[in-house]
Amino acid sequence: MGKPTFSQNFSAAVAETRLRLINISRYPGQLAMEIIIPIIFASMPMLLGRATAGDNASANFAANTGTTNYVAFLLIGSNVFTLVSNAFWHIANWLRFEQETGTLESIYLTPTPSIVIASGVAIYSVGRGLISALLAYFIGCLIFQVNPIQGDVLLALLFIFFGLLPLYGMAMLFGALVLKVKESNALIQLMQWVVSFLMGIFYPVAVLPPLVRVVAYLFPPTWMVNGVRSSLLGVGFFFGQWYLDMAVLWAFMLAAPLFGYWVFTRVESNVKRNEGMGEF
Amino acid sequence: MISQTSIFTFIDTVLVMARKELTIMIRYPVEFVASFIQVFIIVTVLTLAGMMFSPDGVRASSGVSNTAGLVVYGFILFLFISDVLWTIGYNVRRDQKQGTLEQLYLSPASKFANLLSRVVVTLVWTGLLSITSSWIMSSMIGGLPMNNVPLAIGILLLGLCGTIGTGFAFAAITLKIREAANTLANLIQFAFMLLCAPFFPFSGLPDWIRNISRLIPTSYTVDAFRSTLMGYPKGFPELAPIEVEIAIVAAFGILMPLIGYWMYRRQENIARTDGSLSEY
Repeated sequence: MGKPTFSQNFSAAVAETRLRLINISRYPGQLAMEIIIPIIFASMPMLLGRATAGDNASANFAANTGTTNYVAFLLIGSNVFTLVSNAFWHIANWLRFEQETGTLESIYLTPTPSIVIASGVAIYSVGRGLISALLAYFIGCLIFQVNPIQGDVLLALLFIFFGLLPLYGMAMLFGALVLKVKESNALIQLMQWVVSFLMGIFYPVAVLPPLVRVVAYLFPPTWMVNGVRSSLLGVGFFFGQWYLDMAVLWAFMLAAPLFGYWVFTRVESNVKRNEGMGEF
Repeated sequence: MISQTSIFTFIDTVLVMARKELTIMIRYPVEFVASFIQVFIIVTVLTLAGMMFSPDGVRASSGVSNTAGLVVYGFILFLFISDVLWTIGYNVRRDQKQGTLEQLYLSPASKFANLLSRVVVTLVWTGLLSITSSWIMSSMIGGLPMNNVPLAIGILLLGLCGTIGTGFAFAAITLKIREAANTLANLIQFAFMLLCAPFFPFSGLPDWIRNISRLIPTSYTVDAFRSTLMGYPKGFPELAPIEVEIAIVAAFGILMPLIGYWMYRRQENIARTDGSLSEY
């Protein structure tokens, strides 16, 4: 049996995407929650700020973050958080689900490389995450009566697009974690919050202590969220110019997927040799 | 054997079952530590977000701060209420999945003790989390107001009794809707975050949402608890005079466990009759 061709691999990836889409279409409640949660999450600090700062809410917020539009600032944070969470959980859950249902071993016996299946899951995850995040952002802006389309929308979309690739590279690390540790929900949940803290989900990373800030700059989501905020709200790029920040994201785009893939394949071959894929 | 209903037998049953829960909990140290760290990260994220609306930025205010009281005491209630509400239903679901629920119901052990034992460990654990997270938050935002502590503890205990009752009712719903309970629990948790205003004053809510909040007893628990500890500053309590709020919280604390337990037994009998107790 020869190696599958590009079109065969592509077909396998699309089939995996379709499988996931059919599966999630059976749980509409989960999809609705994915739109509601970021809005409610962003509304917590918003309502606190409005109630405690009163008429000075916008001015105080601008003094601390660089924009008076706290609604959009917070909604962007909570929706990028949704994208990050989706990336981590969808890759991890895919492997865990196959482990638990006993199909992972069979998948690894087919000629389709695991990275092709993972790509199918990633395409599904990106589509689901983007639709949810965009809907949540627009609905949130509508509820809180601010204009969602302001600033450079195209540039913001580019930051999201180029930020997603390194993000899924990072997500492969969680795939490796599931292969190795199996029941790793608690660790993934923790990492999801660590990343949200470091990327400045509801605040600029400038408020973090210097050492923590350095660590934050090593995470692609930090550059993605600040890029989107700067494009739409003009809070200021880290290096002053959008193309310099974008260049950093490009560097991540090359390094993170390679690193994630390298770790994943190493763990994968290790598990194949020593324990077998069927264990869960 | 079946008629042994003395108080000592009851307490013994609760303690033995609580010990079982504790044993399970400490067998997963990673999960244990991860959940602890996760709470601190969430606390820090929300605190930093709230501080973006402060004229002082991320500097803690000197002396006692009512804003700190508002957020920290609300957070304590959020931790207790969401843990208690969720734990009972989650544990019933776990027994259902593991296939031990049917066996438990064949034993002569008290069903009430069985349900109650599920929250004993959670209450101790959440208590520890609350103390530590309060310390972190107050060091970031400012000193906590500490007035009328005995009365506040009384309100907290009554509120918890009511929430345990709601937890029983949720366990009944879990028996009925099974896996969809996860989504429902998420929805309830986020609805609580918005409608019961644990992280912001009720004045932050639009009037029509505040009217819905007035229909939920837990809102009065949140309002009475933090207003009492803050020493009833101007504008607090926000929903009703404190006497009325305490009366509502007391009625909730006394009646809800009875109603919730009645609902649980009723659903359990239905599940036994139609043979769905062990189905999942």
